[in-house]
Amino acid sequence: MPKVKINDVEVDVPAGTNMIEAAALAGVEIPHYCYHPNLSIAGNCRMCLVDIVGGRAPEIACNMVAREGLAIRTDTPNVKKMRQSVMEFLLVNHPLDCPICDQSGECRLQDYYMEHGNYDSRGIEEKVSKHKRQDIGDKIVLDAERCVQCSRCVRFGDEVTETGDLRLMNRGDHTEIGMFPGERLEHHYQGNLADICPVGALTNKDFRFQRRVWYLRETASVCNGCATGCNIQVCHQEGEVFRYLPRRNDAVNKSWMCDHGRDLVPGIAGLNRILRSKVDGQAVDVEAALSSLAARLKAAKTVGVVLGNRATNEGNWALLQAVRKNLPNAKVYAVAGNDPGSVEFADKLLIDADKNPNSAGVRLLAGVDGRVGDAADLGSALGSIDLLLVLQDDVLGRLAGHGKPAAVAFLGVSKNATSEAANILIPVCHTVEMDGSYVNRTGRVQRLRRAVTAAGDALPAWLVLERLGAKLGAAPGTGMVATAFNAMAKVVPAMKGMEFKALGDAGLPLAVEPAAVAATEALA
Amino acid sequence: MALPAARKMSSGMSAGESIYLVEMLKGLALTMTHIIKNIFDQDRFRTVEYPDVRKSMTERYRGAHRLLLRPDGKVKCVACMCCPTICPAKCITIIAGEDPNDAAEKFPVEFDIDMLRCIFCGFCVEACPKDAIRMDTRIYEINAYTRQAMVHNKTYMVNLMDGLKPPAEEFYRANPDNAPAGFAGDEPAVPVGQPFVNLAAGAEASGAGRAR
Repeated sequence: MPKVKINDVEVDVPAGTNMIEAAALAGVEIPHYCYHPNLSIAGNCRMCLVDIVGGRAPEIACNMVAREGLAIRTDTPNVKKMRQSVMEFLLVNHPLDCPICDQSGECRLQDYYMEHGNYDSRGIEEKVSKHKRQDIGDKIVLDAERCVQCSRCVRFGDEVTETGDLRLMNRGDHTEIGMFPGERLEHHYQGNLADICPVGALTNKDFRFQRRVWYLRETASVCNGCATGCNIQVCHQEGEVFRYLPRRNDAVNKSWMCDHGRDLVPGIAGLNRILRSKVDGQAVDVEAALSSLAARLKAAKTVGVVLGNRATNEGNWALLQAVRKNLPNAKVYAVAGNDPGSVEFADKLLIDADKNPNSAGVRLLAGVDGRVGDAADLGSALGSIDLLLVLQDDVLGRLAGHGKPAAVAFLGVSKNATSEAANILIPVCHTVEMDGSYVNRTGRVQRLRRAVTAAGDALPAWLVLERLGAKLGAAPGTGMVATAFNAMAKVVPAMKGMEFKALGDAGLPLAVEPAAVAATEALA
Repeated sequence: MALPAARKMSSGMSAGESIYLVEMLKGLALTMTHIIKNIFDQDRFRTVEYPDVRKSMTERYRGAHRLLLRPDGKVKCVACMCCPTICPAKCITIIAGEDPNDAAEKFPVEFDIDMLRCIFCGFCVEACPKDAIRMDTRIYEINAYTRQAMVHNKTYMVNLMDGLKPPAEEFYRANPDNAPAGFAGDEPAVPVGQPFVNLAAGAEASGAGRAR
């Protein structure tokens, strides 16, 4: 652990840390454009120049590895002057597009100009004009004039997606970012280009002109697109979600997320949502629907209950509790596989073939329960079931071609084959509308946070199922998600010692090897 | 802490004022000055016989907003959202759109100002980087029979100085395609100049119940 000194603040940093990160640990922000923690060092923007105490000349902090006794200063007049000069260079040919530029409000040029620039323009030459508004991919618009040639996008294409599609071309102040002639971005991580671009050169087509970013609030949550569980920021305003942004978590998704995940945003407030609870086609309130569900569960001879791969751990646990304690004859199943209509695509980077965000959680709880049947069991039993209670998964769609149960109760977010067949329909919250936890494919328990209010009458699934349990005769729950999680963590061996609060932003790994979680698949 | 000794009650008046007589005469003198001025110098009459006579406002007066056009006839506004951001009354609603055939790329599909909420502070004019909105119309008669007609929309504000006169309601009634959402074009419940009668309560039928 080398000890370095930044502006008289001494700090111990891990070996190999560069001085931008070391300064951040010491509470000093060093401005930068080209440096990105998950990309290689390019060192071409020169914004992070700092003075070395006892050194000959200033050096760039991003390419300076912390070593014992290294002391830098970021508060000298020299550093101030260098930052101002770099800003002047970067802005020499930058167009005054701010009123129409989507990056306004989260633009490094704007932020650093106010903080480190603040000079009067000496520009008397015409600005160099370059190619504007180029359609280079399904998700991205490129404006070469706004670019500061930091080459983050070039390195992203070279190092992360390994497609090598964007390139710096020409020389001097005519340098511009562009694609090879006739080519378009083809990969599934295009949205990240707009995120890593520190200026407005690469902007997101889907978010283009939708909302000014300064209106948006951000809530840290987890993507529900697949089993990877990428950490995201949900950007929302007044109950409407506008975009997902990846949130850095080096244990899961680094700083990236896929376009399929971003494409889930319109579905949150989409026309496909289930908004009101229904019993036999009649709209009723949730309480009445739960009462009739409880009565029918008690009356039915053979009851099948399906855990939800798309539901939270708390929801599945509340369902198991409600059933195991009060319906001894009910059979519990977990149906692996994807809902019909999901994007069947997988790669080695982030996109998993399993499109359910919590399959690992279901496998874990099924392993703890020990008596959970799988898709084949349910498929063969489907025709003989009197009442099938389904949590969120489109089970009838997944098991199309098998028999039909006499009656179906569905607790779900969106309409699908199961909701169409449901006699009792109860809306539950979307991922961004509730607190809870998912377990991702590597066995990491990650926390969801409520970003927006629920659509229609939707309630969190765990709360609905706690109430159902109470109607079936169990002790009423506390109605608090932290209590529900902590009670579950006490019983589940792999979650030993976990507390809901302690999950934090980064999540916690299960106390078993990821392989062990995968092995429980046999049970599921 | 000891309380101060009994304080002399003071009305804040000087000895001369407390006699009242002098002050009364001063007041009468002021009134008389105005009467004489109004008789002999009628051009500088303070009171205006509104609505027969209408006061002309100064150039700096902040009246109803108008939107300016570029030489090519498109609105100057690029929907940068600076004015709804600065607006303390939150009365401006802009929906941005993309114009593929225009170098400006971005333009306001809808630009509504709710004149019921506007406090005429002029911040929107100051915040605008494109000089697209101004309040130099000197129009101060902004009124309508419905709340919907108090919303001034893009078409109305663009045409406001171009031969168009307030109120917006008449414009919206004549151009239903350009009226704001929810504007039904209802005729006023009571003809202008008639005393208000509460129709909803059925007062008309009973012939009674003239409201305040």
